Amino acid sequence: MPIQIILNIALQFSIISLVGISFLLIFNTGKYYAIHHSAIIALGGYFACLFYSHLGFSLPLSIIISIFLPTLIGLFIEILIFRNLRKRNNETFFLIIASLGVYIIMQNIISLFLGDDSKTIRIGEVQVGNEILGAYISNVQIIIIAASIILCGTTLLFLKFSKIGKYMRAVSSNEELSNIFGINSDHVILWSFGIGSALASIAGMLIAFDTDITPSTGFKILFYGVVAMIIGGVGSFKGLIGGALLLATAQHLSAYYIDSKWMDATAYIILILFLIWKPLGFSGKRLEKVEI
Amino acid sequence: MEYILHLLIFISIYVLLSQSLCLTAGYSGLISLAHIGFYGVGAYTAAILSVNYGMPFLVTLPLSMLLSGLVAVAVSVISLRTVDDYFIIITLGIQVAIFSVMNNWQGVTRGPLGIPGIPSIKILGFPFDTKISFLLLSLFFVSIVWFLLNNITRSPFGRVLIALSEDEIFAKSLGKDVYKAKIISFTISAMFASIAGVLYAHYISYIDPTSFTINESIFILSIVIIGGMRNLLKIALAAAFLVLLPEALRFIGMPNSIAANMRQIIYGIVLIMVIFKNSENFKSRSSYYTS
Repeated sequence: MPIQIILNIALQFSIISLVGISFLLIFNTGKYYAIHHSAIIALGGYFACLFYSHLGFSLPLSIIISIFLPTLIGLFIEILIFRNLRKRNNETFFLIIASLGVYIIMQNIISLFLGDDSKTIRIGEVQVGNEILGAYISNVQIIIIAASIILCGTTLLFLKFSKIGKYMRAVSSNEELSNIFGINSDHVILWSFGIGSALASIAGMLIAFDTDITPSTGFKILFYGVVAMIIGGVGSFKGLIGGALLLATAQHLSAYYIDSKWMDATAYIILILFLIWKPLGFSGKRLEKVEI
Repeated sequence: MEYILHLLIFISIYVLLSQSLCLTAGYSGLISLAHIGFYGVGAYTAAILSVNYGMPFLVTLPLSMLLSGLVAVAVSVISLRTVDDYFIIITLGIQVAIFSVMNNWQGVTRGPLGIPGIPSIKILGFPFDTKISFLLLSLFFVSIVWFLLNNITRSPFGRVLIALSEDEIFAKSLGKDVYKAKIISFTISAMFASIAGVLYAHYISYIDPTSFTINESIFILSIVIIGGMRNLLKIALAAAFLVLLPEALRFIGMPNSIAANMRQIIYGIVLIMVIFKNSENFKSRSSYYTS
Protein backbone atom coordinates (compact mmCIF):
# COMPACT_ATOMS: atom_id res chain seq x y z
CA MET A 1 0.00 0.00 0.00
CA PRO A 2 2.32 2.78 -1.18
CA ILE A 3 -0.32 5.54 -0.79
CA GLN A 4 -0.77 4.63 2.86
CA ILE A 5 2.98 4.88 3.42
CA ILE A 6 3.06 8.29 1.76
CA LEU A 7 0.26 9.49 4.04
CA ASN A 8 2.07 8.14 7.10
CA ILE A 9 5.28 9.84 6.00
CA ALA A 10 3.41 13.13 5.53
CA LEU A 11 1.95 12.83 9.02
CA GLN A 12 5.27 12.04 10.68
CA PHE A 13 6.98 14.74 8.63
CA SER A 14 4.54 17.41 9.74
CA ILE A 15 4.88 16.49 13.42
CA ILE A 16 8.69 16.34 13.28
CA SER A 17 8.99 19.64 11.45
CA LEU A 18 6.57 21.41 13.81
CA VAL A 19 8.49 20.19 16.86
CA GLY A 20 11.82 20.84 15.17
CA ILE A 21 10.92 24.43 14.31
CA SER A 22 9.72 25.11 17.85
CA PHE A 23 13.02 23.74 19.16
CA LEU A 24 15.17 25.53 16.61
CA LEU A 25 13.60 28.90 17.51
CA ILE A 26 14.89 28.47 21.06
CA PHE A 27 18.18 26.97 19.95
CA ASN A 28 19.02 29.78 17.53
CA THR A 29 18.57 32.57 20.04
CA GLY A 30 19.34 30.80 23.32
CA LYS A 31 22.27 28.81 21.83
CA TYR A 32 21.75 25.61 23.78
CA TYR A 33 19.85 22.35 23.54
CA ALA A 34 16.74 22.94 25.64
CA ILE A 35 15.99 19.33 26.50
CA HIS A 36 13.24 20.36 28.91
CA HIS A 37 11.34 21.41 25.79
CA SER A 38 10.19 17.78 25.57
CA ALA A 39 8.28 18.23 28.82
CA ILE A 40 6.51 21.26 27.34
CA ILE A 41 5.38 19.06 24.42
CA ALA A 42 4.07 16.45 26.84
CA LEU A 43 2.36 19.14 28.93
CA GLY A 44 0.40 20.36 25.89
CA GLY A 45 -1.02 16.89 25.41
CA TYR A 46 -1.67 16.30 29.08
CA PHE A 47 -3.47 19.58 29.66
CA ALA A 48 -5.68 18.95 26.64
CA CYS A 49 -6.45 15.52 28.04
CA LEU A 50 -7.07 16.84 31.55
CA PHE A 51 -9.31 19.76 30.65
CA TYR A 52 -11.22 18.19 27.78
CA SER A 53 -11.64 14.57 28.82
CA HIS A 54 -11.60 14.75 32.61
CA LEU A 55 -12.86 18.18 33.61
CA GLY A 56 -15.35 18.41 30.73
CA PHE A 57 -14.39 21.83 29.39
CA SER A 58 -15.55 22.70 25.89
CA LEU A 59 -13.14 21.88 23.07
CA PRO A 60 -12.08 25.45 22.07
CA LEU A 61 -11.62 26.49 25.70
CA SER A 62 -9.48 23.46 26.56
CA ILE A 63 -7.37 24.00 23.43
CA ILE A 64 -6.74 27.61 24.43
CA ILE A 65 -5.89 26.64 28.01
CA SER A 66 -3.56 23.86 26.94
CA ILE A 67 -1.64 26.21 24.64
CA PHE A 68 -1.59 29.01 27.19
CA LEU A 69 -0.49 27.11 30.32
CA PRO A 70 2.60 25.30 28.88
CA THR A 71 3.70 28.55 27.26
CA LEU A 72 3.49 30.29 30.63
CA ILE A 73 5.46 27.47 32.23
CA GLY A 74 8.11 27.69 29.51
CA LEU A 75 8.47 31.44 30.00
CA PHE A 76 8.57 31.02 33.76
CA ILE A 77 11.42 28.47 33.52
CA GLU A 78 13.37 30.74 31.19
CA ILE A 79 13.03 33.74 33.49
CA LEU A 80 13.66 31.82 36.70
CA ILE A 81 16.55 29.55 35.68
CA PHE A 82 18.12 30.05 32.28
CA ARG A 83 18.27 33.84 32.20
CA ASN A 84 20.13 33.83 35.52
CA LEU A 85 22.45 31.03 34.45
CA ARG A 86 23.27 32.85 31.22
CA LYS A 87 24.28 35.90 33.22
CA ARG A 88 26.60 33.91 35.43
CA ASN A 89 28.62 32.34 32.67
CA ASN A 90 28.33 31.68 29.01
CA GLU A 91 29.35 28.04 28.68
CA THR A 92 26.45 26.24 27.03
CA PHE A 93 27.41 23.01 28.77
CA PHE A 94 25.90 24.25 32.06
CA LEU A 95 22.72 25.29 30.34
CA ILE A 96 22.30 21.79 28.85
CA ILE A 97 22.90 20.12 32.21
CA ALA A 98 20.47 22.48 33.93
CA SER A 99 17.97 21.78 31.19
CA LEU A 100 18.36 18.04 31.80
CA GLY A 101 17.63 18.71 35.48
CA VAL A 102 14.52 20.72 34.61
CA TYR A 103 13.41 17.94 32.27
CA ILE A 104 13.73 15.34 35.03
CA ILE A 105 11.76 17.49 37.45
CA MET A 106 8.96 18.28 34.99
CA GLN A 107 8.63 14.74 33.70
CA ASN A 108 8.31 13.39 37.22
CA ILE A 109 5.84 16.05 38.24
CA ILE A 110 3.71 15.04 35.25
CA SER A 111 3.80 11.37 36.17
CA LEU A 112 3.25 12.22 39.84
CA PHE A 113 0.03 14.14 39.25
CA LEU A 114 -1.30 12.58 36.07
CA GLY A 115 0.00 9.02 36.21
CA ASP A 116 2.53 7.04 34.20
CA ASP A 117 0.00 5.24 32.01
CA SER A 118 -0.85 6.39 28.50
CA LYS A 119 -3.74 8.82 28.12
CA THR A 120 -6.05 9.13 25.14
CA ILE A 121 -8.53 11.77 24.12
CA ARG A 122 -11.56 10.53 22.23
CA ILE A 123 -13.71 12.93 20.28
CA GLY A 124 -16.99 11.18 19.62
CA GLU A 125 -16.93 7.61 18.44
CA VAL A 126 -14.09 5.90 16.67
CA GLN A 127 -14.68 6.39 12.98
CA VAL A 128 -13.28 4.79 9.88
CA GLY A 129 -11.00 7.37 8.29
CA ASN A 130 -11.56 9.08 4.99
CA GLU A 131 -10.54 6.98 2.03
CA ILE A 132 -8.10 8.48 -0.46
CA LEU A 133 -7.04 6.17 -3.31
CA GLY A 134 -7.32 3.09 -1.15
CA ALA A 135 -5.53 4.60 1.86
CA TYR A 136 -7.13 5.76 5.08
CA ILE A 137 -6.60 9.01 6.94
CA SER A 138 -8.62 10.24 9.90
CA ASN A 139 -9.95 13.76 10.34
CA VAL A 140 -7.51 14.47 13.16
CA GLN A 141 -4.60 13.46 10.94
CA ILE A 142 -5.77 15.84 8.21
CA ILE A 143 -5.97 18.58 10.83
CA ILE A 144 -2.42 17.73 12.01
CA ILE A 145 -0.98 18.04 8.51
CA ALA A 146 -2.88 21.26 7.77
CA ALA A 147 -2.05 22.82 11.14
CA SER A 148 1.60 21.95 10.76
CA ILE A 149 1.84 23.47 7.28
CA ILE A 150 0.05 26.64 8.41
CA LEU A 151 2.05 27.03 11.63
CA CYS A 152 5.44 26.31 10.06
CA GLY A 153 4.70 28.70 7.21
CA THR A 154 3.52 31.43 9.55
CA THR A 155 6.59 31.03 11.74
CA LEU A 156 8.96 31.29 8.79
CA LEU A 157 7.13 34.37 7.48
CA PHE A 158 7.14 35.84 10.99
CA LEU A 159 10.91 35.39 11.19
CA LYS A 160 11.38 36.92 7.79
CA PHE A 161 9.14 39.97 7.95
CA SER A 162 8.07 40.92 11.48
CA LYS A 163 10.09 43.16 13.76
CA ILE A 164 10.52 40.57 16.53
CA GLY A 165 11.43 37.95 13.92
CA LYS A 166 14.15 40.19 12.54
CA TYR A 167 15.43 40.77 16.07
CA MET A 168 15.51 37.02 16.60
CA ARG A 169 17.60 36.50 13.51
CA ALA A 170 19.90 39.31 14.62
CA VAL A 171 20.39 37.79 18.07
CA SER A 172 20.97 34.33 16.61
CA SER A 173 23.66 35.57 14.28
CA ASN A 174 25.47 37.80 16.78
CA GLU A 175 24.17 38.50 20.25
CA GLU A 176 26.74 41.08 21.35
CA LEU A 177 26.47 43.11 18.21
CA SER A 178 22.69 43.19 18.41
CA ASN A 179 22.97 44.36 22.02
CA ILE A 180 25.16 47.20 20.82
CA PHE A 181 22.45 48.16 18.33
CA GLY A 182 19.94 48.45 21.16
CA ILE A 183 18.21 45.08 20.86
CA ASN A 184 17.56 43.61 24.30
CA SER A 185 18.67 40.03 23.75
CA ASP A 186 17.03 38.75 26.96
CA HIS A 187 13.76 40.11 25.69
CA VAL A 188 14.18 38.48 22.29
CA ILE A 189 15.14 35.14 23.82
CA LEU A 190 12.01 35.36 25.96
CA TRP A 191 9.94 35.93 22.82
CA SER A 192 11.46 32.91 21.12
CA PHE A 193 10.80 30.83 24.22
CA GLY A 194 7.19 31.94 24.18
CA ILE A 195 6.60 31.18 20.51
CA GLY A 196 8.60 27.95 20.69
CA SER A 197 6.66 26.72 23.74
CA ALA A 198 3.33 27.59 22.14
CA LEU A 199 4.22 25.65 18.97
CA ALA A 200 5.50 22.74 21.06
CA SER A 201 2.33 22.57 23.14
CA ILE A 202 0.21 22.61 19.96
CA ALA A 203 2.32 19.72 18.64
CA GLY A 204 1.86 17.81 21.88
CA MET A 205 -1.87 18.43 21.82
CA LEU A 206 -2.18 17.23 18.21
CA ILE A 207 -0.26 14.06 19.07
CA ALA A 208 -2.55 13.46 22.04
CA PHE A 209 -5.66 13.88 19.85
CA ASP A 210 -4.26 11.52 17.22
CA THR A 211 -2.72 8.67 19.21
CA ASP A 212 -2.08 8.59 22.92
CA ILE A 213 0.41 10.29 25.17
CA THR A 214 2.77 9.11 27.93
CA PRO A 215 5.23 11.21 29.97
CA SER A 216 8.07 10.08 27.67
CA THR A 217 6.32 10.83 24.37
CA GLY A 218 7.64 14.36 24.29
CA PHE A 219 11.21 13.18 24.66
CA LYS A 220 10.94 10.78 21.74
CA ILE A 221 9.43 13.37 19.41
CA LEU A 222 11.96 15.99 20.49
CA PHE A 223 14.76 13.52 19.78
CA TYR A 224 13.45 13.12 16.22
CA GLY A 225 13.31 16.89 15.90
CA VAL A 226 16.92 17.23 17.08
CA VAL A 227 18.09 14.53 14.66
CA ALA A 228 16.29 16.32 11.82
CA MET A 229 17.96 19.54 12.90
CA ILE A 230 21.44 18.00 12.98
CA ILE A 231 21.16 16.27 9.62
CA GLY A 232 19.77 19.46 8.12
CA GLY A 233 22.74 21.49 9.25
CA VAL A 234 22.30 23.07 12.68
CA GLY A 235 20.64 26.47 12.68
CA SER A 236 18.96 26.40 9.29
CA PHE A 237 15.17 26.25 8.98
CA LYS A 238 15.14 24.99 5.40
CA GLY A 239 17.67 22.31 6.33
CA LEU A 240 15.46 21.29 9.22
CA ILE A 241 12.47 20.75 6.93
CA GLY A 242 14.60 18.69 4.53
CA GLY A 243 15.99 16.70 7.45
CA ALA A 244 12.49 16.06 8.80
CA LEU A 245 11.36 14.78 5.38
CA LEU A 246 14.36 12.46 5.10
CA LEU A 247 13.92 11.17 8.65
CA ALA A 248 10.17 10.57 8.30
CA THR A 249 10.66 8.74 5.00
CA ALA A 250 13.41 6.52 6.34
CA GLN A 251 11.47 5.72 9.51
CA HIS A 252 8.29 4.71 7.74
CA LEU A 253 10.09 2.71 5.08
CA SER A 254 11.91 0.80 7.82
CA ALA A 255 8.64 0.36 9.71
CA TYR A 256 7.02 -1.05 6.56
CA TYR A 257 9.85 -3.31 5.46
CA ILE A 258 11.36 -4.38 8.81
CA ASP A 259 9.30 -3.67 11.93
CA SER A 260 7.75 -0.59 13.48
CA LYS A 261 9.55 -1.12 16.78
CA TRP A 262 12.89 -0.20 15.21
CA MET A 263 11.85 3.37 14.32
CA ASP A 264 13.93 4.90 17.12
CA ALA A 265 16.96 2.92 16.07
CA THR A 266 16.48 4.03 12.45
CA ALA A 267 16.59 7.66 13.52
CA TYR A 268 19.83 6.97 15.31
CA ILE A 269 21.38 5.07 12.39
CA ILE A 270 20.63 8.01 10.09
CA LEU A 271 22.31 10.33 12.57
CA ILE A 272 25.42 8.09 12.60
CA LEU A 273 25.55 7.86 8.80
CA PHE A 274 25.39 11.63 8.55
CA LEU A 275 28.10 12.04 11.15
CA ILE A 276 30.39 9.71 9.26
CA TRP A 277 29.96 11.09 5.76
CA LYS A 278 28.48 14.54 6.18
CA PRO A 279 29.19 15.79 9.71
CA LEU A 280 28.08 19.29 8.74
CA GLY A 281 24.62 18.28 7.59
CA PHE A 282 23.47 18.91 4.05
CA SER A 283 23.17 22.63 4.33
CA GLY A 284 24.77 25.75 5.63
CA LYS A 285 26.61 26.20 8.85
CA ARG A 286 29.63 24.40 10.21
CA LEU A 287 30.12 22.51 13.42
CA GLU A 288 32.70 24.43 15.35
CA LYS A 289 36.07 22.92 16.23
CA VAL A 290 35.41 19.80 14.14
CA GLU A 291 37.49 21.03 11.27
CA ILE A 292 40.45 22.03 13.38
CA MET B 1 20.84 -4.22 59.53
CA GLU B 2 19.98 -5.92 56.24
CA TYR B 3 18.57 -2.61 55.07
CA ILE B 4 21.79 -0.75 55.89
CA LEU B 5 23.86 -3.39 54.08
CA HIS B 6 21.54 -3.09 51.08
CA LEU B 7 22.09 0.67 51.00
CA LEU B 8 25.85 0.22 51.31
CA ILE B 9 25.88 -2.18 48.35
CA PHE B 10 23.91 0.33 46.29
CA ILE B 11 26.28 3.09 47.30
CA SER B 12 29.27 1.05 46.18
CA ILE B 13 27.65 0.26 42.81
CA TYR B 14 26.96 3.95 42.27
CA VAL B 15 30.47 4.90 43.41
CA LEU B 16 31.84 2.53 40.75
CA LEU B 17 29.58 4.05 38.09
CA SER B 18 30.19 7.67 38.92
CA GLN B 19 33.94 7.33 39.38
CA SER B 20 34.23 5.62 36.02
CA LEU B 21 32.21 8.42 34.43
CA CYS B 22 34.55 10.88 36.12
CA LEU B 23 37.35 9.73 33.80
CA THR B 24 35.44 10.82 30.69
CA ALA B 25 33.26 13.63 32.00
CA GLY B 26 35.69 15.15 34.46
CA TYR B 27 39.14 14.51 33.07
CA SER B 28 38.65 14.44 29.31
CA GLY B 29 35.73 16.87 29.38
CA LEU B 30 33.44 14.59 27.37
CA ILE B 31 30.01 14.80 28.99
CA SER B 32 28.59 11.39 28.17
CA LEU B 33 24.93 10.52 28.71
CA ALA B 34 25.45 6.97 27.44
CA HIS B 35 27.18 5.74 30.57
CA ILE B 36 24.15 3.82 31.83
CA GLY B 37 24.04 2.13 28.43
CA PHE B 38 27.41 0.50 29.06
CA TYR B 39 26.34 -0.40 32.58
CA GLY B 40 23.32 -2.07 30.97
CA VAL B 41 25.45 -3.90 28.41
CA GLY B 42 27.49 -5.30 31.29
CA ALA B 43 24.41 -6.31 33.25
CA TYR B 44 22.71 -7.96 30.27
CA THR B 45 25.85 -9.83 29.17
CA ALA B 46 26.38 -11.24 32.64
CA ALA B 47 22.69 -12.14 33.00
CA ILE B 48 22.38 -13.86 29.62
CA LEU B 49 25.66 -15.77 29.95
CA SER B 50 24.97 -16.99 33.47
CA VAL B 51 21.27 -17.82 33.02
CA ASN B 52 21.39 -19.39 29.55
CA TYR B 53 24.86 -20.92 29.54
CA GLY B 54 25.56 -21.32 33.26
CA MET B 55 28.91 -19.58 33.04
CA PRO B 56 30.67 -18.71 36.32
CA PHE B 57 31.29 -15.14 37.49
CA LEU B 58 35.02 -15.29 36.73
CA VAL B 59 34.17 -15.87 33.05
CA THR B 60 31.21 -13.52 32.70
CA LEU B 61 32.98 -10.53 34.25
CA PRO B 62 35.84 -10.35 31.70
CA LEU B 63 33.43 -11.13 28.85
CA SER B 64 31.06 -8.33 29.91
CA MET B 65 33.95 -5.91 30.20
CA LEU B 66 35.19 -6.97 26.79
CA LEU B 67 31.82 -6.59 25.09
CA SER B 68 31.18 -3.25 26.76
CA GLY B 69 34.64 -2.09 25.70
CA LEU B 70 34.03 -3.18 22.10
CA VAL B 71 30.72 -1.32 21.97
CA ALA B 72 32.43 1.71 23.49
CA VAL B 73 35.21 1.68 20.90
CA ALA B 74 32.74 1.38 18.02
CA VAL B 75 30.55 4.12 19.42
CA SER B 76 33.34 6.50 20.38
CA VAL B 77 35.10 6.27 17.01
CA ILE B 78 31.93 7.74 15.51
CA SER B 79 30.72 10.07 18.24
CA LEU B 80 34.12 11.65 18.93
CA ARG B 81 34.02 13.23 15.51
CA THR B 82 31.87 15.84 17.22
CA VAL B 83 32.59 18.15 20.14
CA ASP B 84 30.92 19.80 23.12
CA ASP B 85 27.14 20.12 22.81
CA TYR B 86 26.94 17.84 19.80
CA PHE B 87 28.76 15.14 21.72
CA ILE B 88 26.16 15.35 24.50
CA ILE B 89 23.36 14.98 21.96
CA ILE B 90 25.11 12.08 20.19
CA THR B 91 25.61 10.21 23.47
CA LEU B 92 21.94 10.84 24.21
CA GLY B 93 21.24 9.12 20.89
CA ILE B 94 23.51 6.21 21.80
CA GLN B 95 21.63 5.81 25.06
CA VAL B 96 18.31 5.76 23.18
CA ALA B 97 19.70 3.19 20.73
CA ILE B 98 21.07 0.87 23.44
CA PHE B 99 17.79 1.09 25.33
CA SER B 100 15.86 0.35 22.16
CA VAL B 101 17.99 -2.75 21.52
CA MET B 102 17.40 -3.98 25.10
CA ASN B 103 13.69 -3.35 24.78
CA ASN B 104 13.11 -4.73 21.28
CA TRP B 105 15.59 -7.52 20.61
CA GLN B 106 13.29 -10.00 22.27
CA GLY B 107 15.05 -13.11 21.04
CA VAL B 108 18.04 -12.39 23.25
CA THR B 109 17.06 -9.90 25.95
CA ARG B 110 13.40 -10.97 26.36
CA GLY B 111 12.45 -7.31 25.90
CA PRO B 112 10.31 -5.64 28.56
CA LEU B 113 9.83 -8.94 30.41
CA GLY B 114 13.40 -8.79 31.65
CA ILE B 115 15.65 -11.66 32.69
CA PRO B 116 14.71 -13.27 36.03
CA GLY B 117 16.58 -15.82 38.12
CA ILE B 118 20.16 -14.61 37.76
CA PRO B 119 22.22 -16.81 40.12
CA SER B 120 24.29 -15.28 42.89
CA ILE B 121 28.03 -14.96 42.45
CA LYS B 122 30.21 -17.98 43.15
CA ILE B 123 33.99 -17.69 43.09
CA LEU B 124 35.96 -20.96 43.31
CA GLY B 125 33.09 -22.64 45.12
CA PHE B 126 32.58 -19.87 47.66
CA PRO B 127 29.06 -18.40 47.32
CA PHE B 128 28.55 -14.67 47.80
CA ASP B 129 24.88 -15.05 48.62
CA THR B 130 24.67 -13.16 51.90
CA LYS B 131 24.51 -9.38 51.91
CA ILE B 132 27.63 -8.94 54.00
CA SER B 133 29.78 -11.07 51.70
CA PHE B 134 28.40 -9.33 48.62
CA LEU B 135 29.18 -5.97 50.21
CA LEU B 136 32.78 -7.05 50.80
CA LEU B 137 33.04 -8.22 47.18
CA SER B 138 31.72 -4.94 45.81
CA LEU B 139 33.97 -2.94 48.12
CA PHE B 140 36.85 -4.98 46.72
CA PHE B 141 35.90 -3.92 43.18
CA VAL B 142 35.37 -0.32 44.26
CA SER B 143 38.83 -0.17 45.78
CA ILE B 144 40.46 -1.73 42.71
CA VAL B 145 38.72 0.69 40.34
CA TRP B 146 39.45 3.63 42.65
CA PHE B 147 43.12 2.65 42.78
CA LEU B 148 43.33 2.24 38.99
CA LEU B 149 41.55 5.53 38.28
CA ASN B 150 43.72 7.32 40.79
CA ASN B 151 46.82 6.05 39.01
CA ILE B 152 45.48 6.64 35.50
CA THR B 153 44.62 10.25 36.27
CA ARG B 154 48.05 10.95 37.75
CA SER B 155 49.91 9.24 34.94
CA PRO B 156 51.22 11.03 31.81
CA PHE B 157 48.10 9.78 30.04
CA GLY B 158 45.90 11.48 32.65
CA ARG B 159 47.77 14.72 32.10
CA VAL B 160 47.12 14.42 28.36
CA LEU B 161 43.41 14.10 29.17
CA ILE B 162 43.48 17.19 31.37
CA ALA B 163 45.39 19.08 28.70
CA LEU B 164 42.92 18.19 25.97
CA SER B 165 39.93 19.16 28.08
CA GLU B 166 41.53 22.53 28.78
CA ASP B 167 42.63 23.30 25.26
CA GLU B 168 42.30 20.68 22.57
CA ILE B 169 44.18 22.53 19.85
CA PHE B 170 47.09 23.31 22.13
CA ALA B 171 47.35 19.66 23.20
CA LYS B 172 47.37 18.72 19.53
CA SER B 173 50.12 21.20 18.79
CA LEU B 174 52.28 19.50 21.42
CA GLY B 175 52.07 16.31 19.38
CA LYS B 176 49.52 14.49 21.53
CA ASP B 177 47.08 12.21 19.73
CA VAL B 178 43.91 13.80 21.08
CA TYR B 179 41.46 11.56 19.21
CA LYS B 180 43.14 8.37 20.43
CA ALA B 181 43.37 9.59 24.02
CA LYS B 182 39.66 10.38 24.01
CA ILE B 183 38.77 6.95 22.63
CA ILE B 184 40.94 5.20 25.20
CA SER B 185 39.48 7.12 28.13
CA PHE B 186 35.92 6.57 26.88
CA THR B 187 36.56 2.83 26.53
CA ILE B 188 38.20 2.43 29.93
CA SER B 189 35.32 4.21 31.58
CA ALA B 190 32.76 2.04 29.77
CA MET B 191 34.59 -1.12 30.88
CA PHE B 192 34.57 -0.01 34.51
CA ALA B 193 30.87 0.81 34.23
CA SER B 194 30.17 -2.74 33.05
CA ILE B 195 31.72 -4.10 36.28
CA ALA B 196 29.03 -2.21 38.15
CA GLY B 197 26.45 -3.68 35.78
CA VAL B 198 27.60 -7.25 36.43
CA LEU B 199 27.45 -6.69 40.20
CA TYR B 200 23.98 -5.14 39.90
CA ALA B 201 22.62 -8.03 37.80
CA HIS B 202 23.88 -10.66 40.24
CA TYR B 203 22.76 -8.72 43.29
CA ILE B 204 19.18 -7.91 42.22
CA SER B 205 18.92 -11.24 40.32
CA TYR B 206 16.40 -9.71 37.91
CA ILE B 207 17.01 -7.07 35.23
CA ASP B 208 14.74 -5.31 32.79
CA PRO B 209 15.31 -2.35 30.44
CA THR B 210 13.67 0.19 32.77
CA SER B 211 16.74 0.16 35.05
CA PHE B 212 18.83 1.57 32.19
CA THR B 213 16.94 4.64 31.04
CA ILE B 214 18.17 8.12 30.28
CA ASN B 215 17.01 9.30 33.72
CA GLU B 216 19.60 7.06 35.37
CA SER B 217 22.26 8.49 33.06
CA ILE B 218 21.36 11.98 34.18
CA PHE B 219 21.49 10.79 37.79
CA ILE B 220 25.07 9.47 37.39
CA LEU B 221 26.09 12.66 35.65
CA SER B 222 24.63 14.73 38.47
CA ILE B 223 26.67 12.71 41.01
CA VAL B 224 29.82 13.58 39.06
CA ILE B 225 28.86 17.25 38.80
CA ILE B 226 27.91 17.51 42.47
CA GLY B 227 31.20 15.79 43.37
CA GLY B 228 33.14 18.49 41.57
CA MET B 229 33.97 16.76 38.26
CA ARG B 230 37.56 15.71 39.01
CA ASN B 231 37.70 14.68 42.63
CA LEU B 232 37.33 10.92 43.15
CA LEU B 233 36.79 11.17 46.93
CA LYS B 234 34.18 13.91 46.66
CA ILE B 235 32.40 11.97 43.93
CA ALA B 236 32.24 8.93 46.21
CA LEU B 237 30.78 11.12 48.96
CA ALA B 238 28.29 12.66 46.54
CA ALA B 239 27.18 9.18 45.44
CA ALA B 240 26.59 8.19 49.06
CA PHE B 241 24.73 11.44 49.71
CA LEU B 242 22.45 11.14 46.69
CA VAL B 243 21.65 7.48 47.35
CA LEU B 244 20.85 8.16 51.01
CA LEU B 245 18.91 11.40 50.50
CA PRO B 246 15.70 9.85 49.13
CA GLU B 247 15.79 7.19 51.85
CA ALA B 248 14.93 10.00 54.25
CA LEU B 249 11.59 10.18 52.41
CA ARG B 250 10.83 6.68 53.64
CA PHE B 251 11.10 7.80 57.23
CA ILE B 252 8.71 10.68 56.64
CA GLY B 253 6.26 7.99 55.64
CA MET B 254 5.77 8.74 51.99
CA PRO B 255 4.05 5.96 50.02
CA ASN B 256 6.23 4.05 47.56
CA SER B 257 4.36 5.16 44.45
CA ILE B 258 5.10 8.81 45.16
CA ALA B 259 8.59 8.20 46.54
CA ALA B 260 9.98 6.99 43.19
CA ASN B 261 8.98 10.23 41.49
CA MET B 262 9.96 12.39 44.45
CA ARG B 263 13.40 10.78 44.39
CA GLN B 264 14.02 11.97 40.83
CA ILE B 265 12.55 15.39 41.50
CA ILE B 266 14.99 15.79 44.40
CA TYR B 267 17.92 14.84 42.14
CA GLY B 268 16.82 17.38 39.60
CA ILE B 269 16.53 20.13 42.19
CA VAL B 270 19.91 19.29 43.74
CA LEU B 271 21.50 19.27 40.28
CA ILE B 272 20.14 22.70 39.37
CA MET B 273 21.11 24.11 42.77
CA VAL B 274 24.67 22.84 42.41
CA ILE B 275 24.95 24.29 38.92
CA PHE B 276 23.73 27.63 40.20
CA LYS B 277 26.09 27.58 43.12
CA ASN B 278 29.16 26.40 41.27
CA SER B 279 28.75 27.86 37.83
CA GLU B 280 31.42 30.42 38.61
CA ASN B 281 33.81 27.83 40.01
CA PHE B 282 33.52 25.49 37.07
CA LYS B 283 34.51 28.23 34.71
CA SER B 284 38.23 27.97 35.32
CA ARG B 285 38.81 24.27 35.42
CA SER B 286 42.56 24.69 35.62
CA SER B 287 42.23 25.75 39.27
CA TYR B 288 41.20 22.18 40.06
CA TYR B 289 44.44 20.87 38.75
CA THR B 290 46.76 23.34 40.44
CA SER B 291 45.08 23.27 43.85
